[in-house]
Amino acid sequence: MRATLIIINHNGRHLLETSLPAAVVAARAAGDHAVMVADDASTDDSLEFVSLDFPEVQFLAFPRGGFGRTCNRAVEAAETEAAVLLNNDVVVTEDFLPPLLADLADETVFAVGCKFLNPDGSLTHALGNRVSGEWRRDLLYLHHETDPAQLTETCPQLYANGGGMAFRRRAWEALGGFDDLYLPIYWEDADLGYRAWGRGWRVLYEPASVVYHDQGSTMGRIQRLPQVELISARNAVLFTWKNLLDRGQFRRTLAAQSRWVADDVLVGGLPNRMRALLAATKRLALAARCRARELRERTVSDEEILKRARGESA
Amino acid sequence: MSGPSHTVLLLTFARRGEEAAIQNALTALAERVPGARVIAVGTPVSAPVLRALGIADILVYGDGKSARQVIEEAQLFMPEVAAIIYDHPRFAAHLKLEALALAIGVRTILRFLPSPPLPRPETIGRFRLALSVMAKGLQMLFRLCVGMAATALACSYLCWYGRSRGGRGASRT
Repeated sequence: MRATLIIINHNGRHLLETSLPAAVVAARAAGDHAVMVADDASTDDSLEFVSLDFPEVQFLAFPRGGFGRTCNRAVEAAETEAAVLLNNDVVVTEDFLPPLLADLADETVFAVGCKFLNPDGSLTHALGNRVSGEWRRDLLYLHHETDPAQLTETCPQLYANGGGMAFRRRAWEALGGFDDLYLPIYWEDADLGYRAWGRGWRVLYEPASVVYHDQGSTMGRIQRLPQVELISARNAVLFTWKNLLDRGQFRRTLAAQSRWVADDVLVGGLPNRMRALLAATKRLALAARCRARELRERTVSDEEILKRARGESA
Repeated sequence: MSGPSHTVLLLTFARRGEEAAIQNALTALAERVPGARVIAVGTPVSAPVLRALGIADILVYGDGKSARQVIEEAQLFMPEVAAIIYDHPRFAAHLKLEALALAIGVRTILRFLPSPPLPRPETIGRFRLALSVMAKGLQMLFRLCVGMAATALACSYLCWYGRSRGGRGASRT
């Protein structure tokens, strides 16, 4: 199975200096695989860097679209059976690709996520390893495995992190890729994984596919910004509105969301939850359209999705 | 404000990882009320943190004990000073800490505003604290109303749209 390694880039020339050579080496080591840089309207010299130093790498410059939309455009442009999405701050190991492609040979598998490590070899917490989920009172809570002893075998997980995931393009297209509902970023990969499980596919975690993530380089820095926290909280609400189809749980969860807003998190004095809920309300019409599609196409219940993603049932 | 007979009531919902901030507050408190005996009111989560910092007397709130029981137990110690540490990031926690300080009926109330790295206690009068509790209560009520309105709108619209355009799907499987 041929694959295209797609590095998503936005003003990340300094990050490409490390991540791109590693991707090129890994693509060559695993056979005849392609490497692409999907650029989200960079204003730095990423284009010059790639075209001069890596002429074999395809550089696609897209208009500003946010993470999800740029991924969708890049996957559409790829011509291989499989694709691997990589953040520009993720440095792959030379042999990371074959285990991913071996897992994808199983037709029931939609996507496979890599093992994310910090540069010092410890598990990174910014990009999740073996993610599971649980509907609590107000939202879907995500759990990232932090015990290295639990991360030694290929196993199911709720979703593969968009920073390092492989998938079959046909299945991606059937699912419609990342949803614009979550633009510009956050929760689109969780949503995609949830939808894949909901249609009967599986998502796996592959510990043999190791990549390194320098948390301090991009997301680790911006995750502290209140605006980014607001987008993440808004998208967590939108995820619920779109994906939680169990009627009783849906009503209980929405009732709990009003209490969630009342007990706000005081981060820098910002009432984030109320702002997040109001921001989500602005996208209500779009969320309703996406939810209607889920109602038509979902074949697996919410409870069963989470069970399967934890490896508790077939 | 000095002398070994003073009892200080420490009100905090600290969690693991906040030991340094609590230790700084304790140091500042020791300068303000030297030699005082410290009684803490905390949660099941904060109790181990407080114990690790050498506080032996901890009244655990929310571990099968009602707020009323905690208030009555705290009153038995007859504390002269209450110190509130605003370490917990949630709105309701701030409200509870202030309400506890008021209800216990301590004469002098100090508060450590979250201003790392060196928190300095400031005295707050009971009247001002009561106003703060009222303001926070009203704000929570307002937020609850906004939240209920927004989620009711969302729930109605999503259910209506789903019925008119959606299908059976897996919602009842």
